[in-house]
Amino acid sequence: MEREVLCTGIGGQGVQLAARTLAVAAVAEGREVMVFGSYGGMMRGGNTDATVVVADGPLRAPPTVARSWSALAMHPEYWARVRDRLRPGGVAVVDAGTFGPEVTVPGCRVLAVEAAAVAAEHGAPRASAMVALGAFAAATALVTLDSLTEAAGDVLPEYRRQHVEANRRALDAGYRLVPAPLADAWLEPAVGRAR
Amino acid sequence: MTRRLMEGAEAIARAMVAAGCRFFAGYPMTPFTEVLEHMARLLPEVGGTCMNAESELEAVGMAWGAAATGTRAATGSVGQGLSLMQESLSEICHARLPLVVLNMARGQGDYHQATRGGGHGDYRHVVLAPADVPEAVQLAHRAFWLADVWRNPVLLVGDYYLAHVQEAVDEGVADLPPVPDKPWALDGSTGGSGSARMISPLGLAKRGDPSFVEYGRHLETIGDRLAAMEAGVEPLAESIGTDDAELVVVAYGTPGRYLRYVVEELRGEGLPVGLVRPITLWPFPSAAVAAAAEVARAVAVYELNTGQMHDDVRLAVLGRRPVSFIGGLSFDNSGFGIAPELDVERLSARIRRALDETARTAAPA
Repeated sequence: MEREVLCTGIGGQGVQLAARTLAVAAVAEGREVMVFGSYGGMMRGGNTDATVVVADGPLRAPPTVARSWSALAMHPEYWARVRDRLRPGGVAVVDAGTFGPEVTVPGCRVLAVEAAAVAAEHGAPRASAMVALGAFAAATALVTLDSLTEAAGDVLPEYRRQHVEANRRALDAGYRLVPAPLADAWLEPAVGRAR
Repeated sequence: MTRRLMEGAEAIARAMVAAGCRFFAGYPMTPFTEVLEHMARLLPEVGGTCMNAESELEAVGMAWGAAATGTRAATGSVGQGLSLMQESLSEICHARLPLVVLNMARGQGDYHQATRGGGHGDYRHVVLAPADVPEAVQLAHRAFWLADVWRNPVLLVGDYYLAHVQEAVDEGVADLPPVPDKPWALDGSTGGSGSARMISPLGLAKRGDPSFVEYGRHLETIGDRLAAMEAGVEPLAESIGTDDAELVVVAYGTPGRYLRYVVEELRGEGLPVGLVRPITLWPFPSAAVAAAAEVARAVAVYELNTGQMHDDVRLAVLGRRPVSFIGGLSFDNSGFGIAPELDVERLSARIRRALDETARTAAPA
């Protein structure tokens, strides 16, 4: 089974880092994983997307997919293309700080979390994508919090190591925002095969 | 064996170093630059040398020199840079030196350059075209092995997608047979003959040496070696559904990866479509294509150019089935070979149209 996660936001929010953290955590859990990021030359403000595919067997998905089981959305600017690719029954975690609290996708389960506000509360104002990723893990059971915490130590270059603990706090805070999972990535059946 | 999530560019660089590459030279051009940067970091750690040359002409010259000493060496570029290198690449073939050459291509317009080349005389490169990162790692090891076994350049063809996609990679030493010694390598000694050893595209000895052969005879020897290499290098291909497909699609590299997914999805719907994905572009896996065509009613070629591998598929099928071209150019404004047409739904639609066309026009198998 393959589980796709389409990540979207604007440059500077940490979307690529969140995608890589999720992927490294999944590799540590023995999954097959693929990540393909697409982002413009601009560091901040422009479109930044990543496709993450996690499989419990041989991975067949190409670098970009037509349909996705889930989405992690930090900003509404480029959300429409991601939303339209969600499979029926899909799961989305969005940042309520940029989207507002009411986000609906017909036929999908959507969780809006106050990612930026919670990140700031935990002394990690730039780690809102990590809050959202923590919430995504709790909402989908795609990876465990332990694996994400471990991965957070692997994904930053040496010169950014001082931010590892803040990212871990943000992941943990995001995970604890979710009272009950919306889905179970590895238990529920595959839905809506690509057309 | 460690398993790590790595970008293709890093995975290829690490595999080359693990395969024993100790010299690398190149001139930056995206997406080749990504590999060059990793080599610049990795090679000094193992006592190797990485040169940022002043152009591709110098890069291939440096790599040629390093290869002549018996060092495992590599160079590369994108197709534009490899255009500059063509003279040297044909001469390196004539001088019978092992070398690995990367083409981190912008699209697939360099198929003819890779499999025919623009240099002079009779020469060939072995050409390997991975579709994903784990396969690229395996083929990087295989490239150095083939180069040493056949004393001939081996081209590894990638693209922007392969350079940038991150996948879980098993990093181990590849299980390949031992390679021959390199008694021809220049090591500064004279071999006791009183005259320096030499390596030259004109032959490996000087006039007056006991082993001297005339230039014409040298070229004939090269022809014999090419025939032996073509017969001796195992052609590799991945085939899906070719035992019952009515339409067989042929695609390589990243488009091959997309079409592998699309063909499996369509087969899941019960459509009679199959795929042959050449992994070696030279020698071309003609037998695999011919066998698939034998069962099918028609063959369709998808590549991101205006029709180049199409030639090799037609040569493999030899008129026994219609071979249509369903590919084409596709690029965004980056110029790096990002192809909007590489989209599961668009490719599915293309295959469905080709299948309809087959049902309408092709004779029953």
